[in-house]
Amino acid sequence: MKEALRKFKNLRFVRVIGFNRVILIAIIFLMYGLFTLLTPLLRNGSTFVNYNRVMSALNYAYFIGFMGLGVTFVIATGGIDFSIGPVMFCSALISGYCLTKFNLPLWLCIFISVGVGAVFGSIGGYFVAFRRLPSFITSLALMQVAKGVGSIFTKTQSVTWPSNDPATSWYRDLVKSSNLPVGFVILAVFAILCSIILYRTTAGRYMLCIGSNREAVRLSGVDTRRWEMLAYVLSGTLAGIAAIFYVGAYTTVQPGLGDTFNNEAIAACVMGGTSMAGGSASILGTVIGAIIVALMQEGILAMGFTISYQYVLTGLIVLCAVTADIMSRKRRN
Amino acid sequence: MTGSKKKTILQAVGVQRLVIIGVLVILFTFFCLVSASFRKYTTLITMASYMYYTMLMAIGVTFPLITGGVDLSIGTGLVCYSIVGSYLMRQMGLPIGVAMAVTVGMGILFGFFNGVIVAKLDLPPFITTLCTMMIVRGLGSILTNGMTGVWPMAGQEGSWVRDLLRYKIGDVTYPVGMVIILFLVLVMSVVLNHTRVGRYIIAIGSNKEALKLSGVNVARWHIMAYVISGFFAGLAAIAYACTFTSITPGTGAGLELDAIGGAIIGGTAMTGGSGSIVGTFLGVCLISLLKTGLPNIGLQANWQQIITGGILIVAVTIDMARRRK
Amino acid sequence: MGEIILTMEGIDKTFPGVHALDKVSMDVRRGEVHALMGENGAGKSTLMKVLTGIYQKDAGTIVFEGREVRFASPREAQSAGIVIVHQELNMMGHLTVAQNIFIGREPRHGLLIDDASMNEEAAKLFAQLGIEIDPRETMSQLTVGKQQMCEIAKAISHEAKVIVFDEPSAALTDTEIDQLFRIIRDLRDRQYGIVYISHRMDEIKRITDRVTVMRDGQTVGTLVTAECTKDDIIHMMVGRVIFEEPKTQSRVPADAPVVLRVEHLNAGRMVRDVSFTLRKGEILGFSGLMGAGRTETARALFGADAKDSGDIYIDGEKVNIHSPKDAVRAGIGYLSEDRKRYGVVLKKNICENSTLACLQNYVKHGSLIDGEAERKVTQRMVDALKTKTPGVDQLVMNLSGGNQQKVVVAKWLISNSKILIFDEPTRGIDVGAKQEIYELMNRLVQEGKSIIMISSEMPEILRMSDRIIVMCEGKKTAEFDVSTATQEKIMNAATREIAV
Repeated sequence: MKEALRKFKNLRFVRVIGFNRVILIAIIFLMYGLFTLLTPLLRNGSTFVNYNRVMSALNYAYFIGFMGLGVTFVIATGGIDFSIGPVMFCSALISGYCLTKFNLPLWLCIFISVGVGAVFGSIGGYFVAFRRLPSFITSLALMQVAKGVGSIFTKTQSVTWPSNDPATSWYRDLVKSSNLPVGFVILAVFAILCSIILYRTTAGRYMLCIGSNREAVRLSGVDTRRWEMLAYVLSGTLAGIAAIFYVGAYTTVQPGLGDTFNNEAIAACVMGGTSMAGGSASILGTVIGAIIVALMQEGILAMGFTISYQYVLTGLIVLCAVTADIMSRKRRN
Repeated sequence: MTGSKKKTILQAVGVQRLVIIGVLVILFTFFCLVSASFRKYTTLITMASYMYYTMLMAIGVTFPLITGGVDLSIGTGLVCYSIVGSYLMRQMGLPIGVAMAVTVGMGILFGFFNGVIVAKLDLPPFITTLCTMMIVRGLGSILTNGMTGVWPMAGQEGSWVRDLLRYKIGDVTYPVGMVIILFLVLVMSVVLNHTRVGRYIIAIGSNKEALKLSGVNVARWHIMAYVISGFFAGLAAIAYACTFTSITPGTGAGLELDAIGGAIIGGTAMTGGSGSIVGTFLGVCLISLLKTGLPNIGLQANWQQIITGGILIVAVTIDMARRRK
Repeated sequence: MGEIILTMEGIDKTFPGVHALDKVSMDVRRGEVHALMGENGAGKSTLMKVLTGIYQKDAGTIVFEGREVRFASPREAQSAGIVIVHQELNMMGHLTVAQNIFIGREPRHGLLIDDASMNEEAAKLFAQLGIEIDPRETMSQLTVGKQQMCEIAKAISHEAKVIVFDEPSAALTDTEIDQLFRIIRDLRDRQYGIVYISHRMDEIKRITDRVTVMRDGQTVGTLVTAECTKDDIIHMMVGRVIFEEPKTQSRVPADAPVVLRVEHLNAGRMVRDVSFTLRKGEILGFSGLMGAGRTETARALFGADAKDSGDIYIDGEKVNIHSPKDAVRAGIGYLSEDRKRYGVVLKKNICENSTLACLQNYVKHGSLIDGEAERKVTQRMVDALKTKTPGVDQLVMNLSGGNQQKVVVAKWLISNSKILIFDEPTRGIDVGAKQEIYELMNRLVQEGKSIIMISSEMPEILRMSDRIIVMCEGKKTAEFDVSTATQEKIMNAATREIAV
């Protein structure tokens, strides 16, 4: 048994994507199997195996995935960003308002959405990196600000993005085009880009090293503040991109919400093997984590439970993942 | 130097607290002068109602903050606890006393849960309590099947609880709850400064390893800090229920930030080791004043969240600057 | 000296990968000061931690007052009467002196702590020790020396019979040390058993009755202090180490160009009007006691901390250094005394650490890291510095102290630093590897680098430096050519400014 495990761990593809990621992928299939089995039992007559369910789970995975990619950078530097959910909503509200009320062209609105995210990221990054405020309290404060800004901009009205006119609704094709999951391709492209940034560029190298030992990096003559801030800017920007995928899937956004999504994005990260202590991060893990979160939500709803169960489970999952990370680091020391 | 040290009033109250009191007086005068609606007696009552639950949360959260931690679960927590309390009254017909006990008991339970994870498993407090925040958020609606919580309204059975906070004689409401708040501020001040719990909680924030080497059971007192926070979240749940009567499950996120902001303005350091209940009291007074005053001079209600966020960032920035000196 | 109060016999303790204590034995009598000596990592602190219940021993016996004891926690050791005054002070800065002394056993009226009687008791303790400290003062407001007195008061209040001092004098001024010794002698006369851990040979002769020497986790032997010489003790401590003679004269030609000139550098309280020059190919030693402001000077020079005023010239040209980034650009490299905190990124590999200071030189297509080039240069450094590692992908946390130091050196060599600041270059490095670091430093200056070496070890200073600057209380108090420097002169300058 042990021998078999060792052999498995040494397989080439396992080594490349990491043993933990293989486990996570296995969990996806297990969950799928479990939901398939349980759904008819719990709710007579309904089934889980269904093309629409898969698409619906993917819709959820996209925007969680984009947010997760962003917050992975922040966690890699040893910080945390609790503002991304409301920032995503704020982006969607402001850009949607521009689209529907000011009739700005769609491409410009997408640009605005990403820009709003970047602005929030820059503000958070400035306070954390340059003013040395604790990241969790800064991002909690920004979370409130984002909620407030969103509702003030739209005068506390919800915003529904157009879905019929081909001129103003092609953004929906980014998510799903003639029933093909285009969004998945785009998410994958972004994940590859993020991997390159994190693992292959100086910026990513600095971010990871800052997460492990900020002072050592600073004393090596690196302007740590700049690179730390960049992580928050990336996080905000990706939340702005996530906004497009959120409205692409659900079209309507309400002001004052969005904070449950940060938790799910963070859950995706820590499940994927990104350490809350900073210094090590897995982009692939985050993407898989996002899919698990989405699948879990779909399963919970399919089995007839309310979304409240999702909140409880997300909380427990993050607790377990962080505990596991801390235990394994303790053991190694 | 070591000669007779006579404490001046300035030293006794603390410069920072005097500054807050000064700001309070100036702001209050300003709002009174500028806004006619602020000058009304009902505004004062509204402010007091807002203050009750925020103050209770803030007193509680001061303790984890002093250990160098934080408790983010109190906001969604109080909503969850009060909904469960209401469920016991409405659906199970239990007397209000039992409902209140369970409400507070749940607070203690989740405080204990947080404490054990932080103290025994060494998880970062912010992530631990964030998870608890999610858990209680969902749990409130799961336990009560998603029903809105309803607490007794004026004149109904069990409305004496409301009277503890707002006593009505004729048409005039008296904010008698302030007496309870002041009493609790006094008690918790004594607890913080003159009992073992308080002493060890300060010591944990100051130098946990040293305390451990002194042979003190650190984990036990560390857990206590979160239990106190949870207990006060339970009390805040009752105050919240009395103020709003009906409570929507799944809300409450963000309430904790006003409490934390108040504590930090009041001089509790984000890095732990120092803080005071009187300071927290003054800090929450300031936040309450801003939150009731600003809408009265023209800022719409949806500015509330921005005010919270802004105050928090300013408070922490000041705290950081103060310690860097 | 009275009868034996404490005996440790055959104590064994293993940590993963390290046999920290190997059948260590030692005894302590009533009314004696018993020195415990040994180099860094010899196992002194581990032994004391086993004795005071912080660690659990794997084997061996501890007999205290005639009975075998086994302490599961520091508290049990305390209540039995064995107390340790720690090296890194264990105080809670936010609490008052009295609150610190009585932490964990506060007198109470019901639920309330009786602070008044606590202050009274503390005042009595201080009176007993002949020290003037206000028990109501906040701990963080006191000087390090006074904080240590509080620790001693705390130990006595525990009704201790054996008190362990773990390098108590490391951060004290001369007057404070005198006071400390007066107290220790007083305690000895009152029949306490005292264990005194120190590196300072003169103190051992001054204060202790017996000496037990440890080396590599074993006891080498116990001597009566009055009957042995310094050389005996040194010999026992270092054992296999070959002592090299101090340098007799500078190897730097008088006309060697000045690469660095620092003028009137001021930074906070610890760096006051410091000026000096550094020549090409020179090792400039910075000597002084702990807390003399040497590290602070280096950090201010390097831009790690803000400086208040002062000019820095490199190769005759004035440079503005406001951050480490500026310093690195100007060709300065800083090797911190605390490698793990400030030197290396432990969880990253050798390659990532080596190129950290000049990653911008190892990129292609914009800002993609050129992994190939990076590995190549790292491998070259590993070979050149003889870093012992299976490969450049090894995480730095898996390397020994000496090899970690080499990784830091490699970092600055790769980034082409001309001036290297070695802050306590051999701290935490075992004896064999020390030699290698010394050779490396000599090779570097031969290759035209210039070195500033901060060191608290006098032999190291005398052996390596071409010129020596002595600092005390933030000021430069002397400058010697190595040919004229002696231990006495240096020590004299290092203590000159200390206020009485």
